Amino acid sequence: MHTMEAVRIAMVCDFFHPNVGGVENHIYMLSANLLRRGHKVVVITHSHPPDRVGVRWLLPSLKVYYIPFPAIASSATLPNFFTFLPYLRSIVLRENIQLIHAHASLSSLGHEGILHAHLMGVRTVFTDHSLFGFDDAASILTNKLLEATLRNVDAAICVSHTGRENTVLRARLRPSRVYVIPNAIIAEQFKPSPNTTATQTSNNITIVVLSRLAYRKGIDLLVATAPRICAKFPNVRFIVGGDGPKLIDILQMREKHLLQDRIEMLGPVRHSDAPKVLTRGSIFLNTSLTESFGIAILEAANAGLYVVSTRVGGVPEVLPPDMVSFANPDEDDVIRAMAEAIEIVSAGRHNPHRAHARVRGFYGWAEVAKRTEKVYQTVLETEPYDFWTRLQRTLDLGTFAGPIFVIILVVDCLFFAFLEWWIPEREIDKVQMYWNHQRFVELAHEYEEQQDASLCKDACDSN
Amino acid sequence: MSQEVSEEEWERVLWKRKPYPDNYVPRSFLSSLSRNPNFRPYTYGPLVLASCAISQHLAAIFIFLATFVRLKEHYLDPRVLVWISTLGFIVGYAVWELLLYGVDRKTRNESRSKTIKSSILVFLALMSLSPVLKTLTAATSSDSIWALSAFLFILNVLLADYTALALENYRREKLTSVLSINAAISSSVVLASRLPNDLSVFALVLFAVQSFAMFPILRRRLQSTDPLLQATLTAGACAFSIYATWALSRTVTYLFTFSYVFVLFLAPAILVWAQRFKNEIRGTWDPAVPRINETSLFS
Repeated sequence: MHTMEAVRIAMVCDFFHPNVGGVENHIYMLSANLLRRGHKVVVITHSHPPDRVGVRWLLPSLKVYYIPFPAIASSATLPNFFTFLPYLRSIVLRENIQLIHAHASLSSLGHEGILHAHLMGVRTVFTDHSLFGFDDAASILTNKLLEATLRNVDAAICVSHTGRENTVLRARLRPSRVYVIPNAIIAEQFKPSPNTTATQTSNNITIVVLSRLAYRKGIDLLVATAPRICAKFPNVRFIVGGDGPKLIDILQMREKHLLQDRIEMLGPVRHSDAPKVLTRGSIFLNTSLTESFGIAILEAANAGLYVVSTRVGGVPEVLPPDMVSFANPDEDDVIRAMAEAIEIVSAGRHNPHRAHARVRGFYGWAEVAKRTEKVYQTVLETEPYDFWTRLQRTLDLGTFAGPIFVIILVVDCLFFAFLEWWIPEREIDKVQMYWNHQRFVELAHEYEEQQDASLCKDACDSN
Repeated sequence: MSQEVSEEEWERVLWKRKPYPDNYVPRSFLSSLSRNPNFRPYTYGPLVLASCAISQHLAAIFIFLATFVRLKEHYLDPRVLVWISTLGFIVGYAVWELLLYGVDRKTRNESRSKTIKSSILVFLALMSLSPVLKTLTAATSSDSIWALSAFLFILNVLLADYTALALENYRREKLTSVLSINAAISSSVVLASRLPNDLSVFALVLFAVQSFAMFPILRRRLQSTDPLLQATLTAGACAFSIYATWALSRTVTYLFTFSYVFVLFLAPAILVWAQRFKNEIRGTWDPAVPRINETSLFS
């Protein structure tokens, strides 16, 4: 199982448990699978007073450092370039970290982690989870910040080919330093309900929409198309789950067209309840206007649903063409794609169980961990930039940004020197931990067998 | 990057196990990138025409300032100014009616009676308020007033609405630059409070209402008419403001002239030149714009 020596990794990100979301889940699953592969992983994030403070442990043996920084907006901390250093230095030295893996381009903790890492001889990897434009003020600012941070990063990971092109352009990175490793899902959580038969030709078709009801998710398209689809196909029902600013538009549309019995509104749906909602339908509709990866359509396909989606961002890369109908973000084209999907599903040409089995083979966290590990290995094998190269590369940032970030770099070094004098490394206690990896793997294996057995039992019962 | 992997094997998909490494750079990398896709470069002529509105607004302010100085120094009889304002209002209202010629009669008659009522109301209100306005800033030194009014006029210029209002949008007109009008009127009020007598105060504030509240609304409508009219109006306004200032101060006249030249001719030239640096990047990562049929929106 071990293809490389155990690495001591720190995942640094503002977004982590107890918040929920794509990035949070990604970090947790990746860490758990890296632990399984014998690496040592700690997570560093900001605290959530009053109860998530200090050091906590998450199953299975994932240590989380909650740094006492207040969150300012949407759970991100205030961007500043120095205050994280004392905490990071202590943690890196105590845990003997070799590699910092930062996540998400709007996480200032992640940025700072990458900036400070070289002082302690730690290597850096960055994962970008989202797509950004180039034309509005916020994008221009964050792109410059990202470029400055990623100037000296050792490797970057993106979740789709589209995301990779976007990140390469935004941060002006060498393309060969940017890797594509997709997200993954836990296939067991999303299963087609056992009583849907392979060739279901029942007349009623249920379309599921499960998304945040916001402009970026293309809810305007949904509002425009749903009444037309309902009028065109009398055997179609909608189930809409989610909450957001566009909820009111959907409610108005439903009222105006008297579709209360055809469109069911579920309100906010917890992620753990998503499988239950998904299995009630046979077609999943995604009208997003931008999407880096589109985990929602992957989950839906895994639950055995046929997918209708807008052709945006990384979505076309996620599923094979026979499991999804694509539409342009255009009212008429969405209806065309939906008609195509309804025809396929009602003719019984889409087998939910086969779809589940196929998707299950495509994406798994174990695979993601393995590929990420390879990135770590490549990074650790290469020589780091020396300080002079770093300075030069930072100066190349631009006429204004260059000198500013050089000053930050130099002040950071002075701050680090001060910390070295104030709290010398020899005065810092190293973490001692008894950890029997063999035993852990055995337990994990045992647990998985139990799970499989119980699932098997469920399946037998339902038959 | 391993070179032995042939390009044929590469596919832009994530769901296949691939023989190439994760950081493989395909030949099609960034092929969907497009630069300046819908770029229509500005040309000099239309830009100059568009900047006429700004010059007219500046001219209104400069004429107002010249009038203020004349009133303050007793070069101008306030009664003359009141007559000029009244005349200006009548001429402006005639032009307004002329522009409204196509719109249906009922709304026009309604708005006409409303306009007359409110104009009389404003006239009387200003007249009764002018003794109060005269002593409004008696306790403040003049230097602060000059600074405050300069600041407010700059705010007015920056926030004013310079867009044209086409005939078909007359019905949907909204007061767009409330803050701008407020800034100009406040500035005029504080300036007026420096004047020696009640009648001067009344005349100046009336003139301010004409040039900062009424004129911009009319200007927006005129803007969508003939370009020649625009040019004539701009030239006339600028020339008159320069003539009115010439007798008061040479330096200020040069300053005003320079600002007209800059706004009318230099600034458009700079914008045209700066377009060479335009580098708009578009690709698959941009948020799509949903296309929704009009009928379903307004049915």
